Amino acid sequence: MADRQEKLSVAFAWLSALLVPALLAMVTGFLLRRGLPSLQVALWFGDTPPLAALLHGAPVFDGIWPACLGTLYLVALVALMAVPLGVASGIFLAEYAGGRTKLAFSFCIELLAGIPSILMGLFGFALILFLRRSFAPEANTCLLLSAFCLTLLVLPYLISSTRLAIESLPDALRLTGASLGLSHWQLIRRILLPASAPGIFSGVILAIGRAAEDTAVILMTGVVANAGTPGSLTAKYEALPFHIYYLAAEYQSPAELAQAFATALVLLALTGLLLLAARRLQAGLEIK
Amino acid sequence: MAARLLYCAAAVSALAVLAILAFLVYFSLPLFQGDQLAALFSWHWRPLQNEFGILPMIAASLALAVSSMLVAYPLALGVCCFAHGLGPDWAARPLLVAVRLMSSVPTVVYGLVAAFSLVPLIRGASSGSGLCWLAALLTLAVLALPTIVLLLDNQFQRLESEIRLTAAALGLTRVQEMLQLTLPLSSRGLVMAAILGFGRALGDTLVPLMLAGNAPQPPLSLLDPMRTLTAHIALVVATDSQSAAYNSLFACGLILFLLTVLVNLGLRRIRTGATAHG
Amino acid sequence: MKAAIRVEKLSVSFAGKHVIRHLSLEIASGGPTFLVGRSGSGKTTLLRALNRLNECLPGCATSGQVELRLGEQWVDAYAATTNVENLRRRVGMVFQSPNVLPLSILRNIEMPLKVALSLPADEAEARAEQALREVHLWDEVKDRLSQAASTLSGGQQQRLCLARTLALRPQILLLDEPTASLDFKAAQRIEDLLLELKSRYTLLVVSHSLGQARRIAESLFVLHDGERIEALSKDVFQDRDALFSVMDELI
Repeated sequence: MADRQEKLSVAFAWLSALLVPALLAMVTGFLLRRGLPSLQVALWFGDTPPLAALLHGAPVFDGIWPACLGTLYLVALVALMAVPLGVASGIFLAEYAGGRTKLAFSFCIELLAGIPSILMGLFGFALILFLRRSFAPEANTCLLLSAFCLTLLVLPYLISSTRLAIESLPDALRLTGASLGLSHWQLIRRILLPASAPGIFSGVILAIGRAAEDTAVILMTGVVANAGTPGSLTAKYEALPFHIYYLAAEYQSPAELAQAFATALVLLALTGLLLLAARRLQAGLEIK
Repeated sequence: MAARLLYCAAAVSALAVLAILAFLVYFSLPLFQGDQLAALFSWHWRPLQNEFGILPMIAASLALAVSSMLVAYPLALGVCCFAHGLGPDWAARPLLVAVRLMSSVPTVVYGLVAAFSLVPLIRGASSGSGLCWLAALLTLAVLALPTIVLLLDNQFQRLESEIRLTAAALGLTRVQEMLQLTLPLSSRGLVMAAILGFGRALGDTLVPLMLAGNAPQPPLSLLDPMRTLTAHIALVVATDSQSAAYNSLFACGLILFLLTVLVNLGLRRIRTGATAHG
Repeated sequence: MKAAIRVEKLSVSFAGKHVIRHLSLEIASGGPTFLVGRSGSGKTTLLRALNRLNECLPGCATSGQVELRLGEQWVDAYAATTNVENLRRRVGMVFQSPNVLPLSILRNIEMPLKVALSLPADEAEARAEQALREVHLWDEVKDRLSQAASTLSGGQQQRLCLARTLALRPQILLLDEPTASLDFKAAQRIEDLLLELKSRYTLLVVSHSLGQARRIAESLFVLHDGERIEALSKDVFQDRDALFSVMDELI
């Protein structure tokens, strides 16, 4: 009886274990088959000469270059806002907070981590409604708003990865620093932060990947299909994940659909590379 | 000085969640006047006839999250058991690498692939458009699978480092170790992974938006279209309706927020229970 | 003999569990003074109470009085007016296993000088060289100062840690089993160094090697279960048989 249970379990484990790589292969295979033929220079720049677009900012009409730029700006803005805030909060929780403060802050941040991304978008949307009703009647959804909402989305990842990286350092490091007469802040700044840098960086990279791939937040906070290259912080913009979503729903021709698949390949490569970079940093950490 | 700055940063981060809650509550307030609240909890969403019931969306969200968990959870458990003793040792690492890669695939990419592979399949096998509960369920299961696997893997790894040698010394095979020791001993982790996966499935927007058909009706058949709370929020914002629709929007947000809080409290309860015993 | 450290009714507990209880002792300047005892008897905790390092570990509570003679005046280590960082700079510590920081050889010594003492770069460098010479490490590392400190051998690392502490110019040196993780030859070099240093610093050494204590200790304390401390006179611990009877008691 027990023997049969064992055999059944092993069989089921094999089944699920085979299914996972099969699914992954199916998804990438499908994307490659449908998207690879369109993965050419024209995918990025359409009919505009690439150099003109890159150097002189010539407008690109049916390429994904504006969407690439939009995602790049978005990610840069998010990094600018989220990294200092997240890392600082992580340091505070790991090194300074104690007792009730620590409990309360951790609870709030855990909660923030669990909030669906669409609610971050809704928050941004509500913020604009609020601003319009109060002191900025012409406020509208824009690049900056999206970046702000995405910051809320990735903040908990940054905080917990920073906190974990610092808290898992050996006690000996702390004692050494203290025995040399370093103040608490000097100890953090000169010893703990450098030693936990790989862990913190890998958290930053994963957070950037999360910001680059999210669609639900930007959907509600300013992304549009044909904005061209983003002109300012308060302008509408295009982004890669939204481009895919938009084409999947509204494609007019097989060529546009093929572009959607090619764009998906580009985005997949981007997030895959970010994951790889983060893993490398972590692996380096484990060897030390 | 440094400590004060850091404190401010952490306070801002922690207050963010309260700010979100405050905005949701503030914009839902108009609903608590008159009989709007009762109108909200009806099964009919017909903006043109001034009916703004959101019960179908609540039901759809819960049904989709639970059903996708029913598919994803056993599979994730199987994968984890495979990587920790039920499969050959050499296969464990590559399998987990594959799972990590899966977790890095953007949601919108899963949605795209499913919309042009899975949906046509369902369309061919049934009469509808193929955009339905089933399509969203299967795709969401794939999406949530890595989250569950990685959490369980973490759990099993920690436990195994404790019991591996003892189990081997007692003459247990790897399979027996997994079935008789690791699994029963990690019951809390198993529940936590299920709750976390449920939360992940509940909060996803893009998969139901792209694949479930978005018809605001109660989920009665796997082949019927459905509309979740998340997709509903995205749709209403996109289609600039009149202000009564807006109000219901924030009610949906509030409900989603409360469900998230419940999920979190559940996780927390299990975790603190675990430390009290350990 | 002048006293350098006075401990009065010291108690230290971690998460409510007492490691040291109502301990009083007086340690003479110079030394080396050795502190021996069974493992778990609280030797390390006692040592760390002197430079308030226990406070860096979670759940620690300390009561009682510790007075240290720094320069010509007595400093109450746990007084509210005492600057703890300053205290730790003047009461240096060397740990059991060499704990080099993940920095270069030179930076290991320079960083605390620049950061904790705010010394200018040239002065920090001069002090680093002086400290490395003091521990006879200079000739071995002068051509590879920018290499990672972790590339040194265990014995060299421990001497680097000693140099790093000496560079801060402490008056009291606490050494927590400084040779326990080293091989015989490297341990020998550290012992020789301690004998050279005893004229300039007050040395307090935690050790579990009675042989080592017999060779270089000037005075010796035995700690029992964190509660009772017993001073052995020099003729007792210099006498091999008497020492063996103490050893029996310890085991």
